[in-house]
Amino acid sequence: MSENKMKKTILKIKENLSDFAEGFFKEQAAGILEKEIEDFNDMFMILCFGDLLGIPTPASYYTLELLPYFIGEIDRWESRINRRSKVFSERCARYDFCC
Amino acid sequence: MTSVVEKVIGKKFTFFSGKGGVGKSTCAAATALFISENDRKTLLVSTDPAHSLSDVFNKKIGRSIFSITEHLDALEIDPSFEAKKYVRRVKSDISGIISPVLISEIKKQIEIAYLTPGAEEAAIFDKFIEITQNKKLNYDNIVFDTAPTGHTLRLLSLPKILGVWIDSLIEKRRKIVQLKKSVDRIYGRKGKNNEDPLLSLLLKRRSRFELARKILLDKNRTCFIFVVTPEKLSIAETKMSVELLKKYKIEITGLIINRITPEVKNGSPFLEKRRKIELQNIEHLNALLKVNILAKIPLLDMDIQGIEQLRKLREYI
Ligand SMILES: Nc1ncnc2c1ncn2[C@@H]1O[C@H](COP(=O)(O)OP(=O)(O)OP(=O)(O)O)[C@@H](O)[C@H]1O
Ligand SMILES: [Mg+2]
Repeated sequence: MSENKMKKTILKIKENLSDFAEGFFKEQAAGILEKEIEDFNDMFMILCFGDLLGIPTPASYYTLELLPYFIGEIDRWESRINRRSKVFSERCARYDFCC
Repeated sequence: MTSVVEKVIGKKFTFFSGKGGVGKSTCAAATALFISENDRKTLLVSTDPAHSLSDVFNKKIGRSIFSITEHLDALEIDPSFEAKKYVRRVKSDISGIISPVLISEIKKQIEIAYLTPGAEEAAIFDKFIEITQNKKLNYDNIVFDTAPTGHTLRLLSLPKILGVWIDSLIEKRRKIVQLKKSVDRIYGRKGKNNEDPLLSLLLKRRSRFELARKILLDKNRTCFIFVVTPEKLSIAETKMSVELLKKYKIEITGLIINRITPEVKNGSPFLEKRRKIELQNIEHLNALLKVNILAKIPLLDMDIQGIEQLRKLREYI
């Protein structure tokens, strides 16, 4: 292998490695943000559908017009909320101390 | 011009409130009539789901504007009609937004909207906002005949309650949108830069609630008249309402004392006694509430129905 070729290969490996590291950290950062989005989404949903969960809200009437914008998310949210233990373990896992 | 008319004629919006059966509808109708006879285009609106304006005028007033005289129109808000109209609008908006598969799922949710406990009051509240904002309705005065106290206090407190609710929804949604943008940035995705449609819908709603709140708090445009009878319970309820409204920063413009037992020559001891108690109650009311008494109306010897009979109240109102 010529010196030139060697240099090129090392460079290539370096590039791949940093791509990998970057991807790894990106994934992790995005994961944290996505969990946070989920939290805000939970609060949003509870404010909207509190009446269905037994918390009456004077505003249920107005959530109707919001429905079309998150109808796709409702199923996912509903089943997650229904599996409370899962919700709980999710939360614990996030802090790395149990479950 | 007499006291009540003089007080409210310069205000665009006048609300009549008070305990059940004290004469809110009668006083609101008479006031609206007398305002309109001062050459001002006037609209009388009932926000009471159990309407009685039709009875007061002995005419079939409904959910669309009904002309009573040249300058006076009336309208009885129909909450279930307004709710249906709202549901219909959402249903037709939906088809542009989501896939047909989800539409069948959402239909179930939409039907629930009819049944939520607050649907009726929300529907009335929305129509109230629409009436105050509709530029096509160019009235000089709009007079609201409201439902008995509790109902009305709810209605008047809605802008604040709903305001708090929608503020927190907006805050959460803003956060979500912002976080989603951050995720996009991490992946170097070119996120959609346009306004989040859900957020803009919430902001639009909030500005409607805000408009209602502004009107209710604007002393230059809006006044509140409480009708009270010279009875302990009616006075106690009025005191409570005045205090509650103060919490929402709404100030009562004045009171109308209605159905005062009149002085009758050679009257029976029964009536005399009744009169004395009422006078005591009115004194008590004066001491209890620092609110102007704008009119005192005697109990008439008949029910008040139709324009001719309403005119009998002119000398008092
Ligand atoms: N001063 C008066 N003299 C005689 N009758 C009166 C007087 N004021 C009101 N009435 C009659 O009392 C009845 C109830 O009045 P009105 O419908 O105006 O009360 P309201 O406060 O609007 O009642 P609701 O709480 O049911 O809406 C009506 O039949 C009306 O004609
Ligand atoms: Mg009435």
